[in-house]
Order: sequence, then C-alpha cells, then structure tokens
Amino acid sequence: MIDFLLEIGFEEFPPHFLKPAADDLTLKIEELLKNKKIFHRSVRTIYTPRRIGAIVLGLSRRQKAQIIEIQGPPKKFAYDAKGKPTDKLLGFMKANNLKSNEVVSKRTQKGDYVCGRKEIAGAATEDILHENVPAIIKSLEFPKTMVWNEDNVRFPRPIRWIVALLDRKPLRFSYGDVQANRYSWPNQHFSFKPIRLDKPREYMNFLRHGGVIVDPHERKKTILTRIKQAAAKAEGKPVYNNEMIEEINCTTEYPEVVTGEFDEKYKSLPEEVLMSVLRAHGNVIWMQGTNKYIYVFSAKKKALQNVQKGYGRVMDSRLQDALFFYQNDMNTGLQKMLEETKGMMWLENLGTLFDKAARLAKFAEEFKPVPEFDIAALKQAARLCKADLLSEMVREKEFTSLQGIMGGYYAQSSGESERVARAIAEHYLPRFIGDELPKSAEGALLSITDKLDNVVGAFLSGNRPSSSYDPLAVRRNGYAVVNLLDARGLNISLFHAIDRMLSLYGKDFDARILTGFFEERVARYLQDKGYRYDEVNAVLAHTAWDADIADTSRRCEALKGFRDSPEFIKLAIGQKRVRNILKGVEKKLAVDNELVTEGAEKALLQKGKQISTKILTLVAQKAYPDVLRLLLEMRPVIDKFFDDVLVMCEDKKLRENRLALVSYIHDLFLQFADFSEIVIEGEKTSR
Amino acid sequence: MKKVHTFENVILNLKKFWQDEGCLIFEPYNSEVGAGTFNPATFLRILGPKPWHVCYLEISKRPRDGRYAKNPLRFQQFYQCQVIKKPSPKDIQKTYLQSLEFLGLKLKEHEIRFVEDDWESPTLGAWGLGWEVWLDGLEITQFTYFQQAGGIDLEMIPVEITYGLERITMILQDVPSVFDLMWNNTLTWGDVYRQNEIEYSRYNFESAPPEMLTTLFNSYEKEAVRLFEEGLVYPGYDHAVKCSHLFNLLEARGVISISERAKYIGRVRALANKAAELYLRGESE
Repeated sequence: MIDFLLEIGFEEFPPHFLKPAADDLTLKIEELLKNKKIFHRSVRTIYTPRRIGAIVLGLSRRQKAQIIEIQGPPKKFAYDAKGKPTDKLLGFMKANNLKSNEVVSKRTQKGDYVCGRKEIAGAATEDILHENVPAIIKSLEFPKTMVWNEDNVRFPRPIRWIVALLDRKPLRFSYGDVQANRYSWPNQHFSFKPIRLDKPREYMNFLRHGGVIVDPHERKKTILTRIKQAAAKAEGKPVYNNEMIEEINCTTEYPEVVTGEFDEKYKSLPEEVLMSVLRAHGNVIWMQGTNKYIYVFSAKKKALQNVQKGYGRVMDSRLQDALFFYQNDMNTGLQKMLEETKGMMWLENLGTLFDKAARLAKFAEEFKPVPEFDIAALKQAARLCKADLLSEMVREKEFTSLQGIMGGYYAQSSGESERVARAIAEHYLPRFIGDELPKSAEGALLSITDKLDNVVGAFLSGNRPSSSYDPLAVRRNGYAVVNLLDARGLNISLFHAIDRMLSLYGKDFDARILTGFFEERVARYLQDKGYRYDEVNAVLAHTAWDADIADTSRRCEALKGFRDSPEFIKLAIGQKRVRNILKGVEKKLAVDNELVTEGAEKALLQKGKQISTKILTLVAQKAYPDVLRLLLEMRPVIDKFFDDVLVMCEDKKLRENRLALVSYIHDLFLQFADFSEIVIEGEKTSR
Repeated sequence: MKKVHTFENVILNLKKFWQDEGCLIFEPYNSEVGAGTFNPATFLRILGPKPWHVCYLEISKRPRDGRYAKNPLRFQQFYQCQVIKKPSPKDIQKTYLQSLEFLGLKLKEHEIRFVEDDWESPTLGAWGLGWEVWLDGLEITQFTYFQQAGGIDLEMIPVEITYGLERITMILQDVPSVFDLMWNNTLTWGDVYRQNEIEYSRYNFESAPPEMLTTLFNSYEKEAVRLFEEGLVYPGYDHAVKCSHLFNLLEARGVISISERAKYIGRVRALANKAAELYLRGESE
C-alpha cells in the first residue's frame, strides 16, 4: 500500500472559488481511481487560500488484475474423438500464448467454443496518475480565469507550484511552466523557503510547522474555538453565520484572533452602518450591542499587537467617514434630497427619480381593495423612497447597499411616521431570490410597485432581457413581484396592474409583451415552489390566473395532490380528447336541449348541469380539493359519451350541437384548470 | 531618535529596489491623473509584444476622497509608486514582499493579506485580476495582472504593482494620521500639504464650476478626436487623460446623474480605446 499527495499551489485564490475547486479535484481523482480499478482506502480534500489538493491513503501499487477472454475455435474442432487437442487448438494456444490450464470451453448461442482465459496484470498506479493528473487539473472549471504568461494556461490565479508525490517518488509531469515535484511552500509570514516532502504522510505536520493548517475542517474548528474564547473573554456575543466562517476559512492559512474596540461615539450610527463597515473588512465579527469586535487574521502570533493597532486605525477612519456622511445627511434632511432627485435622471427618456417616485405614489391607489394598510403612509413613503439615493452615505460606493435602509432613518429623523419610515427601509426587499421579504404591508406594497415600475420602465427604455443580457435585473424584479403577490395573498390583477402602470407612463406599448414576460416569471416561481411544469401549465391555462397569484398557487397545490391517482389520469386523458375535438372550433354555440337525443349525451348534459353551480360555489370558496373531487365524478359520463356518441357525425346540426356540449363541459373544467396539459407517463410532452 | 523611514526615504528606497530589479526609473506624468495606470508609461507600454519594466512615482488625484484635512487616512491627492513588470516574473509576489522588507517592514510582525480584487478601469477599457494588499488591515498596494487595456487583449501579460506611499510610511513610522507623517527629519506631510488639502476639498466639492468643467470636457474631447485623426497618438491621449480628470471633478461636484455617468465614462473610454488602437498600429509599422 502506498500514499499519494497532490497539491496545486497558487497565489491567493478568490475565496468563493476555493471549496468548489477543491471538492471537484477530489471527486475527479476518486473517479479516476474507481474507473481504473485502483484500490484506495481514503481520500481527503485540502484547501487553503494558496493551495488545493488531495491526500489519498492506502493505494494499491497497481490496477486490479484484469481477466481477458479470447474466443477460440468451435469445441468440436478443438478436440479429437479421444478428447485430445487438435492442431487447430494447439495453433490457437500458440498464437495467443496460452497454457493448457488457461483454455476453457464456453457455451454460446452458436454452439460450444473453446476460449482462452487469462489474467493480465494491471498497469502501475504511477503510470496512470502520471498520465491522467494533468488532464484532471485542466478539467477544473471556474467562474472566472486569467492568463499570466505565454503558456496561456487559464486558472483563477497563477499556479506557482505542484506537489505530486506517490509515496517517495515525485511524478514529474509539467503543467504550463510548472514542473511537479516534492516541494511545497509555507505561509509567507513564516518563511520563503520551500518545504521538502519525502512522503505524503509528512505533509500535514510539515506544513503546520510552516504556518499552514491544510485541513479545512481542522482550520474551521480552530477558527470557531478562537472566536468563542475571545468572545467569552470580552464578555460579548459575536454575530456570525456559517457563510462568514466559511469565508474566513477560505482566507486564512493559520487563524489567530485579536479583539478590537472602536470609539463609543460610533455607537450612535445605525446598526446596519456599523455592520457594513465591519463586514467590508472581511474576517471581522462584531459583538452585538458593544463597541467590540473580533478579527481573525492569518499570520504569526507576534503580529498580534500590530494587527490590533492597524485594524483599530482603519476601522476608526472608516467609521469616522460613516459618521461624517451620516451627520451631513441628517443636517441636509430628506426633503432637500427629495428636491435634488428632480435633477437626477432615472432611465433614458423616462424622466427623473422624482418622476419615478411620483408615479409610484399615484399607483398606490390600485391597492385600495387591500385590507389593513395605510394608504396615506404608502403614498408618502412612495414619494420619499428614492430621496436617499442623493444622500452622501448611499452615494458612497461602500454604503450603496444601504439604500432604503438609510432612507428609513432619514425619514424618521425628519418627522415621518414609523409606518412611512419602515416602508421606505423595506422597499428594496427581496434583493435576490430567497432574500427576506418586507414585514410591513406598506413595505411590501411599495416594493411591488417599485419593482413593477422597474420592469415596465426597462421594457419601455429598450432594456428587455434576453437570455444572456439583463443589465437592469428585470427578471429578478419580475420574480420578486410575483413572490410578494403570493406571499401577501393579494388579489391584485397583475394584468390590470401592468395596464395601469403603462397608462401612468403614458407610453404606447404592447401590454401582451409584458403579460407574456410575467407569465414566464409566474411559471418559474411556481416551479421553484415545487410544482411540476405541467401542473403549472394546467393551472395557468385557466383564464383568470393573473387575478390572484396566491390562488393560482393554491390550485397547483390541489392538483399536485390528485395528479397521480388512477382516476385522475383517466380524467386527464378524457380532457385531451376534448381538446383535440375542440381544435379548430371557434364559435361557441349554446347547447340545444332538443337536439340532445342519445342516452350518453343526455347523461353528460345532465351531470354537467347538476354540478356546474356547485363548482362555481366551491371555486369561489377556493375549496379546490372539493372541486377536483366533483370533476372526478364526471369521469364515467364523459368516458361513456365518447364511447357511445360520434361527435363528428354527418348531420351538421347534430355535430355542432355535440361540439357545443363538449365545449360546455370543457368550460366547466377550465373554472379550475386545463387537465389536458397534464403529461401522462409514457406520453410525449406537448409543450 | 532619528527617523530613518522618512517619506522621502521610502520613495528613494523603493525606486532603488526596483532599479535593482531591472526597472527603468521614470518620473510622474505632467497632467492630473486618477492613478499611475493613466501614465502613458503604463497604459500605452503594456500594449503589444515588447517587454517593459518601469518604476515611477505618480501623484494621484481623487477629488471625491477629499475630507478637508479632517480624516487621518483620506485625502484627495496621494503618492503612488507604480511598478510595471512585463512579462510578469514567476516569483513576483515574493519580490514584492521582499520590497516591503527592504523598506524596513518585518513580515513576521505584521499581517499581509492579499484580498481578492478584480481591478477594472471602465474609463481606460482596462481590467485585470489580482488583489488589494492589506497590511494590518490597511490597503497599501494594488497588485494586478492586466488582461486587457484599451479594450484590447494583452499579448504579453504585465503585472502592475501600485504602492500607496503615505500609508506604508505611516505604518513604518507608526503614526496614526497622515498629517503627522515625517516627510524628512524636520517637516511633516501636514506641514507640506494640509492647506492644500483644505483648499482642494473646497474646490472639488464646492467651488469648481460645473459649466466650465463641462465645456472643457467637450473641448478636450474634440481636440483628442482631431489629434487622433492626424495620427498624433501621444498628444491625443494627453487630452483623453484631461477629460478623465474633468469627469472626476464633475463627479465630485455631484452634478452627474446615474445615466449621464455611464455616458461620460463611455466617452473617455472611446478616446482611450482609440489611443490604444493607434499606438499598436504605430508599433507594428
């Protein structure tokens, strides 16, 4: 048994690329070993900001031996009557270098044959790794890469060394201008001298002496322990999440911590501003409610004092800046900023930020039917919500992400009500898919309005998204509108809202382009909620899906519960027949009872009439499982109708009346959804 | 105790270090720039297939960063030491760290972090990948492998190392405020520049006349175009650089809206791209 170490060393990697790259590398090495049938006991992933790699322990020296079979002559020609090998067999054995115990007989479809069966030794692990590892490195994929010399090798940052050590022997392949060898490199704070490795098992310890904890799990544990110790000592409660810890893990080779303090006067800054300054400094963890923070650094312990002093100064300068902006903004006041939005263009030819805000305020009327919200507050928040874009704080690159939040603070200090301030603060939420939603009703309504306005404005200014181009994040905005309408259970017609927004812009534009866009967003949203695409298509085929997104979602839920029952599948098949028959039928006729003559026909009409009022009532009550149960009752009469009655008969009058009957039944179903959209197992997708 | 890490000594020492590394010692540009990258000794020379190794001081003007001499770390003008090594050497990161040691910094007593930073100058149509280098949390250097300039893929990849000289010296002298930095053994940075900072902060934020700046921008832009038409690359590029500074001033005055901003940047970039294209054409002839 032997061990293998692969380490790719580079200049500091982008933290977010690190873990995926290391995992990918390990996975590909494991796959290689599996495909090549090379036994190994364990594989361990390693990564630090300056290296990724894998340690494979307990490898066999060779591939598993393989048994090969060589087809020989038919058995009847291979042996003579006495059972002795014929010349034919002997010739076959000689040609293939077979011993007599390697010859066996084999039964095939064409009769009995002899064949040679022998074991051949596997290739050496060394040769296989030597041949395949460079290709594995080359196959790693990254979101962004660079070139650094004339070799034109692409990687996120320059590769500077490679360790490829198979037990005591380095695999000497080259990759770009780097020759794989047995030398690794330490933490640069510790030494500039390479670390010579005689065998893979020395790796972790030797690197530890060089100021590098190569195992990410061990490093993470160390980080957490150190943070907890420091927090306990400072009697503070550190604010962090796993994502922050992982980022720290990807930016440190040898974690140490230091505790820092900022001046009490900065505690007057809003919490979000404080957090933003601290977070911008990576690896800084705030202790809630205090003026203390913990910083995780990656250097020698004796750097502690300098690090503490340095960070203290940087933090002080940044906080001083923040306080400077904040106080200036407070003195300026939101009203003055609002005035300034009159001079700030929003989108090409679509007026200023002030105009946009005024449009949002006008749109607020649309929400009148929504219960339990303060329309006056919503309108006021709408008028003010873009003013903070002119504040010094938000204009500063570092604090741009505090848009809205700062507006909330400034609104409050200029005497606006809590509701108004809150709506302004929340109206950018959700900023991305899965982000938190506004908690207040006014915040949610303002967010919907603003995002709908963003979408319509983008289409009007020629920024319609394409598959690869969406600079104004129109899709994300559209998705958020749908998400909020559903989460808030608002029965605001999306189509009507689009029309209204277009009329507020006063521009001529084909609303169908926008409704089509939103239909796609709704479909995506519902699929993300866990409904299958055909369930979503079925529900979206019901005519008024846009009136109430939460309701549309509820219908999907009901459908999901029924779709796999055998009864339902039969019903869906019936609806497919209905759709096919109605293809090309345009004018809708009323059913003439006089012309309904056959038994199955009568039964269908009767059943339809019997349940139609009930269906309408249940739909109004949104009792969708009951609606579905009722529709399922239709199944026998529909099937019988199609079995017994010829719809496309010769007699024109009869034919048209039967089509009218089918259409009448179809409309009943459409009160809920179009089941013909449901894809039945074994059937090809229709869309 | 006699201060050996004076500001002027740091400048001289860095130049000495890079001279020994084979760099041509150049001098600052004669017009306002936002970064050493704008100097033709970087922007034009990094184009094309010829090696180029240079080191120079650049006085960078960042009108928006002025704080009326009230913030110890922020000011509207600062000294950069700009190093270009083209092609980028294999051990450049180590050489850079050794340059800090050469200045008197003991690496074992500090934390040096290479913080991911994909550098981009939209006005120069240039971008590269690299880092901000933080010394005990303070950004002291921008370290970039250029990939593109003037909208053109680079044939030979250069590395750009831009040192923030005031900040490095502050750490060497262990002073928390730039105004207390010893320039030589008798004068501080504050003695030399405090009044300049106050006045320029006022000019940049309050006094610079937007109408005049706009007019100048338009004139210089026109002139750059005319010069490019005559095939005069260096004079044309000079005017592109002037436009860039005027844009920075207009931005500091807060008179450029979101959509206008993108347009201004696009206009300067068009000039820079043209200069790059003409320069390369001249090189290949």
